[in-house]
Amino acid sequence: MKAIKGVLLTCDSALKQILLTMNEKQSFIIEDLDDNHVVIKADEEYRVRLEVEAELEKNSFDA
Amino acid sequence: MATKRPSAVTGPSTSKRARTDGDDDYIDVDDGLQEPLMPDSPGSPVETSLIPKGATINFTALRRRLADERDAAERSNDKGINNLSSLEVHRRQQDRLISHIFMDHDFSWLHLKNDHASRPLWISPNDGHIILEGFSPIAEQAQDFLVAISEPDSRPAFIHEYKLTPYSLYAAVSVGLQTEDIIEVLNRLSKVPVPDTIVSFIRERTTSYGKVKLVLKHNKYFIESTHPDTLQFLLKDQVIREARVIPTQVAPETTTITGMAGLTISKAPVKGGLVIPGTSKPTGETAGLDGRKQTDADLFTSVVGVDNDEIDEDDDNVHAFEIDDSKIDAVKKRCNELEYPMLEEYDFRNDTINPNLDIDLKPSTVIRPYQETSLSKMFGNGRARSGIIVLPCGAGKTLVGITAACTIKKSCLVLCTSSVSVMQWKQQFMMWSNITEKQIAVFTSDQKEKFAGESGIVVSTYTMVANTQVRSHESKKMMEFLESREWGFILLDEVHVVPATVFRRVVTKIKAHSKLGLTATLVREDDKISDLNYMIGPKLYEANWMDLAAKGHIANVQCAEVWCPMTPEFYREYLREKTRKRMLLYCMNPKKIQACQFLIRYHEDRGDKIIVFSDNVFALEHYARKLGKLYIHGATSQVERMRVLDHFRSNPKVNTIFLSKVGDTSIDLPEATCLIQISSHFGSRRQEAQRLGRILRAKRRNDEGFNAFFYSLVSKDTQEMYYSTKRQKFLIDQGYAFKIITHLDGLDTLPDLVYRTRDEQIELISSVLLASESDADLGSDVRGAEGDLDGTVTSKNFGLPPSRGGMPAAKRTTGSLTALSGAQHMSYVEQNKSANKKLAKETIAANRHKLFAKRDKERVQAKKDAQKAATAGGS
Repeated sequence: MKAIKGVLLTCDSALKQILLTMNEKQSFIIEDLDDNHVVIKADEEYRVRLEVEAELEKNSFDA
Repeated sequence: MATKRPSAVTGPSTSKRARTDGDDDYIDVDDGLQEPLMPDSPGSPVETSLIPKGATINFTALRRRLADERDAAERSNDKGINNLSSLEVHRRQQDRLISHIFMDHDFSWLHLKNDHASRPLWISPNDGHIILEGFSPIAEQAQDFLVAISEPDSRPAFIHEYKLTPYSLYAAVSVGLQTEDIIEVLNRLSKVPVPDTIVSFIRERTTSYGKVKLVLKHNKYFIESTHPDTLQFLLKDQVIREARVIPTQVAPETTTITGMAGLTISKAPVKGGLVIPGTSKPTGETAGLDGRKQTDADLFTSVVGVDNDEIDEDDDNVHAFEIDDSKIDAVKKRCNELEYPMLEEYDFRNDTINPNLDIDLKPSTVIRPYQETSLSKMFGNGRARSGIIVLPCGAGKTLVGITAACTIKKSCLVLCTSSVSVMQWKQQFMMWSNITEKQIAVFTSDQKEKFAGESGIVVSTYTMVANTQVRSHESKKMMEFLESREWGFILLDEVHVVPATVFRRVVTKIKAHSKLGLTATLVREDDKISDLNYMIGPKLYEANWMDLAAKGHIANVQCAEVWCPMTPEFYREYLREKTRKRMLLYCMNPKKIQACQFLIRYHEDRGDKIIVFSDNVFALEHYARKLGKLYIHGATSQVERMRVLDHFRSNPKVNTIFLSKVGDTSIDLPEATCLIQISSHFGSRRQEAQRLGRILRAKRRNDEGFNAFFYSLVSKDTQEMYYSTKRQKFLIDQGYAFKIITHLDGLDTLPDLVYRTRDEQIELISSVLLASESDADLGSDVRGAEGDLDGTVTSKNFGLPPSRGGMPAAKRTTGSLTALSGAQHMSYVEQNKSANKKLAKETIAANRHKLFAKRDKERVQAKKDAQKAATAGGS
């Protein structure tokens, strides 16, 4: 019996696409549930959050 | 209060005990070091330690330190505390607790005047920023004044922000304001005493600026000043001394008292009877001004008043010396280096050498108050000053230019950016003034005319004049004509887009007495705007967009940014694609097409005329075909364009057109009341403002409650969000507020919504992915005509023929020849036809007059009969 600790992420469909792309580089998704939910490895959560933050920041402009 | 009082009294004694001790220590340290004023000495624990240490001494920091020390001294003295009311003690303590948050911007040491509530502005001692309460009863007068002395930074509804800059002060002096008056008025309007730093800044800038004037009189350049010392100072400079022309004989017209320095002295000019055409009659105008002055006894209105300066100058004598024409550029440059930039003025009424041009505004032409104000800044002392006037698109810049030309009444050269606007200028001149067709000439790549008579107007483009390459024989001759003449006035349209090099070439080639630049958006993405300050002159006037909208001169606009979510499939591709293709993906987002369809439907039902802008031609064509609307892009032929525009103007059934970048500059656009933007040129603030200008001139603007609409469709979570915010910055600074719409109500229930199913969306994405790289380019369709200014007609290759081979790639399929030729009942139908094509057919069929239709029929009949007869005869 092998158990992986996971975290359920609720996100919008666009963010899920970002997660999927990130997953291609370094796998962290355990289960892709539906359009708005994914389960990811718990110990990757922090890194994923940071990277998503950075990705979204690219599209905002502040003068 | 009863419960609060003891705490307030005991509070300071207990909780502040430690703090006062700390402060005492700190004072001791300072005293020990004998340098209490150095900003980087160990600061008080709360504030100074957090202030970034600069190499230069910060005056504000110094002031604050002094105030601190005073407070500390008071605090350490028990008597001081007892004397203060508990409230004040409490307040001080609170100030101290939060002041560190503001660091450099803690101005609690600036003391408000007692009647500060009735004074509308506040000046930052650090950087000359002025904050104005737009809701104050005297805000309007304060605004007039601030526009004259500073640059408007941002002007939303309630709080305006202005900035004092060297150039703005230069401009203030050039329209005739005096240093002391500026300070005095600022002091009156300010909630706090004008900080010393600002006072000294104003003094420093204004004493040198504007004291020297360059005047072209009788075709000779003179350097003029009311201050002989200044001229003496300039003459000590090598470059200027060498350029000076020593008068061999006394000029006849000046009442010369040739002083010891050899300066000629004459009376300063007075505005006198000069009237700007289109304003009220001369007597009426002066009476109006006087009346205003009497009623408003306040000092600042008279300062702001345009005719103030000549009163001061009246009794001053003007000193001058002559400068060699050929060395004028060197002298100008040198004066800038010496911090005595020269104002350029043209005494056109006393110019007897250049022939007058008989031009006047038509009697029916009436200019609006703000146009009058801007012109009075230009002709303030009876001479024409060179400078820039900034008015929003659609506010009648052209009329300002024409009125200026009518005031000067000399030969005039108008330069604009494209050949389309050349024709517009000519037409406007004919419309507003009484000039005859003969007197106005056009110089473009197609037309090279000269005006009849001694004086006239020439309209041309920047590139035609600044061209350095080989010219055709005709244009060479035309250039010689332009260069040989002396122009009274040169009008520069859209002055912010002209590159400095082109500009310099124009200025050196064409000899003009005065220059006027017109623009709507004094912004550039490359911050070269300051170049204009010395090449043309200071900014004379800048209108407030919100003000004009409120007064009904331009339309009220509701701006909105519509956020369209990317569908998962599109976003997936978006994340995987390279930059150029990405752009295509976020333009073609099906949700965006739906939003566009919804908005078009909604506004057509309201009776609006809609223009949809897309820089991307691929997207434009796709949208237009899908939604069955007319469209124009670069490849659309001239005839088709005219037809489409005609229909849009007059046909009640055609309420929407799609336009590519050609709509930005090269088309004389009809008016519209709603504008939708689906793709745009990255973060260009100018394009955004110019597009907005298309709906500002709407004729229905004065209807009760009329609003024009400006939508930007943006795909969420993409780069478009970034660009969109950047583009809006200019308009936001003008006071426009962008609403953000995240969900369009009723979109899902729209009966024939496009791309409703996932299958359709997936089909769309495959077609987008098949599109070639070049389809993602922006504005690739716009071919600049010869003579258009590069970059205004923004195309990647500036209208050069495409480098790719002309033929499209062949498509090969297998099939039997009989089937393809239709033998097996195969027929071809064009699906998703362009609406333009349908239109063409209808117009030909419908527009034919009955008479001609009948004649046509007869002719066909006659032919048939003839054929029949021939065959009959033959057999």
